[in-house]
Amino acid sequence: MAALGYYVTVLAIFACIYSIITIGLNIQWGFAGILNFGVYAFVAIGAYSYGLVTLGKPIPGAGQSYILGIHAPFVIGLLAAALVGGLAAWALGAIALRRLRSDYLAITTIAFSQILWLIAGNETWLVNGWDGISGIPQPLNGMLKLSFNNYNFFFLALSLVMLALVMWFAQVTLRAPFGRILRGVREDELVVESFGRNTASLKLRAFVTGGILSAIGGALLAAYVGAFNPSAFLVGETFFVWAALLIGGSGNNWGAILGAILVPVVFTEGTRFLPSIPSNPQLIEAFRYIIIGLLLILTLKFRPQGIIPERPDRFQRATKRDRRLRTGRAAAPDGEEPPHA
Amino acid sequence: MLEVRSVHKRFGGNQAVNGCSFTVDPQTSVGLIGPNGAGKTTTVNLISGRMPIDKGSIVFKDRPIHNMPMWRVARRGLTRTFQISRELRALTVMENMLIAAQLQPFEGIVQTVFEMARIRSAEKEGVRKAFELLELFQLTRLANEYAANLSGGQKRLLELARSLMTEPDLLILDEPLAGVNPTTARNIAEYIETMRARGITLLIIEHNLNMVERLCERVIVMAEGSVLAEGSMRSIRENADVVDAYLGTVV
Repeated sequence: MAALGYYVTVLAIFACIYSIITIGLNIQWGFAGILNFGVYAFVAIGAYSYGLVTLGKPIPGAGQSYILGIHAPFVIGLLAAALVGGLAAWALGAIALRRLRSDYLAITTIAFSQILWLIAGNETWLVNGWDGISGIPQPLNGMLKLSFNNYNFFFLALSLVMLALVMWFAQVTLRAPFGRILRGVREDELVVESFGRNTASLKLRAFVTGGILSAIGGALLAAYVGAFNPSAFLVGETFFVWAALLIGGSGNNWGAILGAILVPVVFTEGTRFLPSIPSNPQLIEAFRYIIIGLLLILTLKFRPQGIIPERPDRFQRATKRDRRLRTGRAAAPDGEEPPHA
Repeated sequence: MLEVRSVHKRFGGNQAVNGCSFTVDPQTSVGLIGPNGAGKTTTVNLISGRMPIDKGSIVFKDRPIHNMPMWRVARRGLTRTFQISRELRALTVMENMLIAAQLQPFEGIVQTVFEMARIRSAEKEGVRKAFELLELFQLTRLANEYAANLSGGQKRLLELARSLMTEPDLLILDEPLAGVNPTTARNIAEYIETMRARGITLLIIEHNLNMVERLCERVIVMAEGSVLAEGSMRSIRENADVVDAYLGTVV
């Protein structure tokens, strides 16, 4: 029973982290229509930034070499991840978003991800090459002195708080003029531009916001797992985030969360009871990709808007009483706010 | 208000606009007519900043606007509609209207998080104005309908209503009557007359010459990328060059 509790907690932590990353992609694709196929590059940037800031100096001869190592606390690591993720998104977006659209932009973001992957793997002095960095401190673990299981619960609470903050921000953004204008950009850039909006700047803001959220997700991932290396950000990882968003419901933050829960759970659980085949040990792994791919195809075929589709704002006209109050023809009772349209 | 001075634009071997010059005075309604391929829509694209000019200049409210990005031109008070309705399909009619509302100061990330009360207040004002316009264009009952679900005529009306949300000084209408039935066309003409009464300067591209005569006090005829003639519709109808290049026969 305890083992099941532990397992569910681990799944819930990963669901929270995936949700933050998927909400980041939702702001980029679901809101603004930016085709970013390099999502996991920003997750990796967040993970490495967090690791490099929170780890101590590398010990000579201990087999690890990396830059920085300033042993900063969790919050500083998280802020550093968000900052570097945002800066990287800004640098890529400022070049790519101005002129490139749809498939060309997608190719550029994949190329960015691959360049980063090769640098992380080959430049051993930077982030310890293909072996990656390990021993990344878990937030407050040394101070709280909790048991292994209890620390898991603590990390789940921390992840839930982070997810709640990110969700609040994403929901506020979606319902604000900023979110609406991004949806306008997604539909027809030219029209939005003809109403006086700098669409390149709007897209860049959405791209940077998504980059920051992906990096925060990466920081939490590194903080929980305690290690990160290039094999953790292969192109396939980005595919899972996309699958989560499209299956859950693009343009809807709740859809993003649902997808982020469904896809990893289906991925890990859907093939759990398949017997392993000694002659082909890679078969189970292949089945996992097939299941997610199948789920994606079925979604696009039968429910292209996703399980929880985008919902527009509904507006009601102000009543006659509202208008009277606004024009001052009837005084509002003391302390009563005029009703809103 | 608007001065187009000897503007040129070439696409490969095609000289689409060839030394086009004309002016639009404040609070007037000017028609821009001409055969297909005369360069009318390209001229509008050049004025609105959709594409850069090769040569010449465009001055709006005493300041040059040529080669300025479209959004900067729009912020100076010049709004345009498109030949084919470009409604934002996955947004509702009201959301389409609010996209055109001038809420730029509230569209930053920082403002979104830290100035919620101010945003709500500005948005409320935008919604009030949008409902006023929707009522004028008889679209109120469709406010929460997806724009994709509107009929062709309703999409035209939405485009007109939306363009008024920007409170433009100069509104360029690119074939506002294209593809609509005669009844809707008459309704749209009435709405355009309402715009004139509100003091909005209009530049209207249109092929329906009776409507042009009704809506515009001055008409500019373009052919082969330059201005062939200009004046009242009566004088245009009697101009031999225009008859030859566009009208085909005296009407």
